[in-house]
Amino acid sequence: MEFLMILVLLVVIVLIAVWLFIARQGDAEFEFIIDQRTDFILEDLTDKTATLSCKVPFVNKGTQGGTIMDAYPRHLLPYEQYDGVEVSSRMELSTAPRTDNYFEAVIIPQGTGGTVVITVKFTAKAGGIQEALGQMSELNVDMPIDIVYQIVARSLWYIHKKRMIMTCDEIMRAMQAKGAAK
Amino acid sequence: MAELELVPVRTRILTDKDNIVDMIEKYAKHDVGPDDVVSVAESVVAITQGRITRPEDLKVCFLARLLCRFVPQEGSLSSCYGMQSAMDTEGQWRIFFAMMIGMLAKIVGKSGVFYQMAGGQTALVDDVTGTMPPFDKCLVYGPHDPHGVAEEIKSRLGCYGAAVADVNDLKRSAVLGVSEGLDPKKLARILIDNPFGNASQRTPIVIIKNYANAEKMAKDQA
Repeated sequence: MEFLMILVLLVVIVLIAVWLFIARQGDAEFEFIIDQRTDFILEDLTDKTATLSCKVPFVNKGTQGGTIMDAYPRHLLPYEQYDGVEVSSRMELSTAPRTDNYFEAVIIPQGTGGTVVITVKFTAKAGGIQEALGQMSELNVDMPIDIVYQIVARSLWYIHKKRMIMTCDEIMRAMQAKGAAK
Repeated sequence: MAELELVPVRTRILTDKDNIVDMIEKYAKHDVGPDDVVSVAESVVAITQGRITRPEDLKVCFLARLLCRFVPQEGSLSSCYGMQSAMDTEGQWRIFFAMMIGMLAKIVGKSGVFYQMAGGQTALVDDVTGTMPPFDKCLVYGPHDPHGVAEEIKSRLGCYGAAVADVNDLKRSAVLGVSEGLDPKKLARILIDNPFGNASQRTPIVIIKNYANAEKMAKDQA
C-alpha cells in the first residue's frame, strides 16, 4: 500500500512538472499592429482603376517561434452600402513581394516580426474611377478590411482576424496627394 | 582528366501527378553520360510519390501534442503536426519510447539516441515551410524505397549510378538510397555544399559528372 502511494505521488509530481514546463514554455502569439499601419498611398491610376497600398507591421510577441501558414485581406464592401466599384485585394510580405495573391508560409521567431503590404484595387463599374471614388466619399462609405491569418506553432493551428478600416477620407487623401482628386 | 563536376538540372515544379524517373529522363537524359551519377532531392521524390499531407488533414493525438513540446523549436517535430506525421509513419508508441530513452540518454550526455530509435522516417519529415510553394503549406514525409528509385533511375538512364539525397544549407548531407555499388557516405560528402540550392524543387536533380572515372583514378592512385 505504501509503495502504491509513493508511485501515485511520483506520477502526480511528474504530471505537475510537465504541466509547469509546458506552461512556462508558452507558444507563439501573433499580432498585426493596425495602429502602426501606414496610410494608403495611390500606386496606380487609370481611367477605370485606382490601386492603393499600405503597410502593416506584425509581431510574434509569444515565447515560441511560429509559422504564418497563410494570410489574406478580406475586404467588405457590400453593394447595399456602395455599388459603384468592384474591389480586389491582396497581401504579401514586404520582404517577399509577389503579385499572385499567394502567401508563402513563413516562420517568425519569437520576439521578431515583419511587415505586410496590403494592396487594394478599385474598378469603376460605370464611368471613371475618380468619379466613382468621389461618390463613395460623398456617401461617407468606409471599407473594413479583415486581415485573416492562419498560424501553426506548438499547439493546434488556428485562424485569427484583425480588422482595419480603409476610410473614404483616406482614399481621397491618397488621391489628392497624387493630384487625382480635388 | 576526370574531374568531378556537379551539374544542377532545372525542372518545372514536380507534383504527385509526376513520375520522378520519367521526369529525370525528360529533363536530364541528354546531359547524363555512362560515367555519371544522377542524384535527386529526397523531398521531391517524396512529393512525386504523394507522400505529403496538410496539417488540416491530420488528426493530432494527445501524445503528439505533448511530445512535440520536448523537441527544440528548430526541428520539424516541434509542431504537433510534425510529431503526428512521425507517429503516423513509425507508430506512436515507438516514438514515445524513443523519446523517453532519448531524454534519459541526453541526461548522461549522449545525444541523437531519439532519432536512432524512432525509425528512419522520423528524421525525414519536413514541416510546413520546408519546401517551396505550392507545398510550403504541407508536411512532406521521407520517400518510399529510395534504393529502388535509385536503381530505376540507373537502369532507365544507363548511367553509372543514382542516388536519393537529403541535403540542406546547414551542411547536413545524407544519402538515403543508392544504386548498387555506390558508397552513400562518399556521395554525401560530394553533395555537402547543397548543389540542389535552397529551393531544391526548382533544381531537384544534380548530375555528378565523371564519377566513374574519378573513382577509378582514386583507386589507381591508392
